[in-house]
Amino acid sequence: MSLIDLMSMAKPNLKSREKFLARLGGTELVNCFQCMKCTSGCTSLKLLELKPHEITKLVRLGFVDELASSDIIWACATCLKCVQRCPQKASPYHVIMALRNLAVEREANVPEAYLKAVSQILETGVTAPVQKVTTKKMEVFDRESLKLPKINAPKESFQSTFLKALEEKQ
Amino acid sequence: MMKLAVFWGCRILTSQYAYEMSIREVFPKLGIELADLREAVCCGDPVKSINNFAADYLAARALALANETGLKDLLVPCSRGHFVLSEVNDSLTKDETRKRKITDLLKGEELSYDPNVKIWHVIDFLHDRVGLEKIKKALEKPFKGLKLASHVGCQTVRYSDLGRVDDAENPRKLDELINVLGAETVDYPEKLDCCGAALTYSHLDAALSLAGSKIKALQDLAVDGLVVSCPACQMMLDAKQKDAGTAVGAKLNLPVVYYTQLLGLALNIEEEKLGLHLNQSPVNQLLTKISA
Repeated sequence: MSLIDLMSMAKPNLKSREKFLARLGGTELVNCFQCMKCTSGCTSLKLLELKPHEITKLVRLGFVDELASSDIIWACATCLKCVQRCPQKASPYHVIMALRNLAVEREANVPEAYLKAVSQILETGVTAPVQKVTTKKMEVFDRESLKLPKINAPKESFQSTFLKALEEKQ
Repeated sequence: MMKLAVFWGCRILTSQYAYEMSIREVFPKLGIELADLREAVCCGDPVKSINNFAADYLAARALALANETGLKDLLVPCSRGHFVLSEVNDSLTKDETRKRKITDLLKGEELSYDPNVKIWHVIDFLHDRVGLEKIKKALEKPFKGLKLASHVGCQTVRYSDLGRVDDAENPRKLDELINVLGAETVDYPEKLDCCGAALTYSHLDAALSLAGSKIKALQDLAVDGLVVSCPACQMMLDAKQKDAGTAVGAKLNLPVVYYTQLLGLALNIEEEKLGLHLNQSPVNQLLTKISA
């Protein structure tokens, strides 16, 4: 979705913007002068048309609500090149992650795999079930047959504490 | 003997067994004892997208478990885990309220967060702490005539404000670690390109294309193999190599190995103990060349 698309659909919401900037903590975002170093090095630019400098600009213009419900925020590969290269420390990566958190709070379109990972962590402590692996010769191995030590799930208090942490609004 | 706590993270413990096996073989051979944490838990990486506070809780919890070992050095072999644990220290230093809230949550679990643990990755631990000289002396079967490429992984080297494993734009340590084994390394334009692992959550095709383009570029350079040191990168470049080939319309057959597997071979450890039979890419090509 391009900058023009988002802007033609809605009016800026300055209240959302203020709240969002407070969530980000730092005020560096407003120092962005659109040099586009983030976008020129962005891993997701070519394949998914992610343009981090546009996201930064849209936040500043007050289109936070539209961004939170847009698919584009889920196109970031989290390679951190934009954080590294931003001369103004406006760090589009952190802006995108905060937008994702906002999308979750608003129950917008969140890719299912993320939610699955969270419920798996709640259940077992780790993001995925312990898998059996198959070699190229079609032999199947697991931790035990590979003589790897058994792994221990977190103690019971973990589940309720993690749930409490997930309820924290930012 | 040096002793080191290890936080393995999820991916190594649940599927990328070859990394764990090779680390458990190689480190003791270099005189380093490893101590596992009491529990297997997530570092918080995917949770960052869902709720940053909960992600910080998980990361701080992992560090609190490391504290329990009483050791001041923690090995985090996963690039993503290494980044998440490094970033939580930074964010809790900057935000006292958040730090208090998280400390309280952990107190309820009889855990205590203490940032005074040095977080190491395999690359910087071997390069800076063990040292190239010591590794060189320990080699039993140094390589000859091998041409390899390195893939350091995005989150091991970025972003520098957190203090990372190597330089963000020109990482050399993994190359130097490969060179000390007697192999040549190549510099290539795609060296810093991302493997795409994080995109598997939302855009699998794009993720595979990223991995595929990188391998394709390396095949054109006729290297004998690619060396990685992160379970997410290995999953993309090794386990998903066939699918990555389909995504970019190319037949890919590049051997991809963990650095610790390669080091293990030079230390004369048996292939199976290093989990080389678990790699999905055609590692036999590389193994034949090594034993020739």
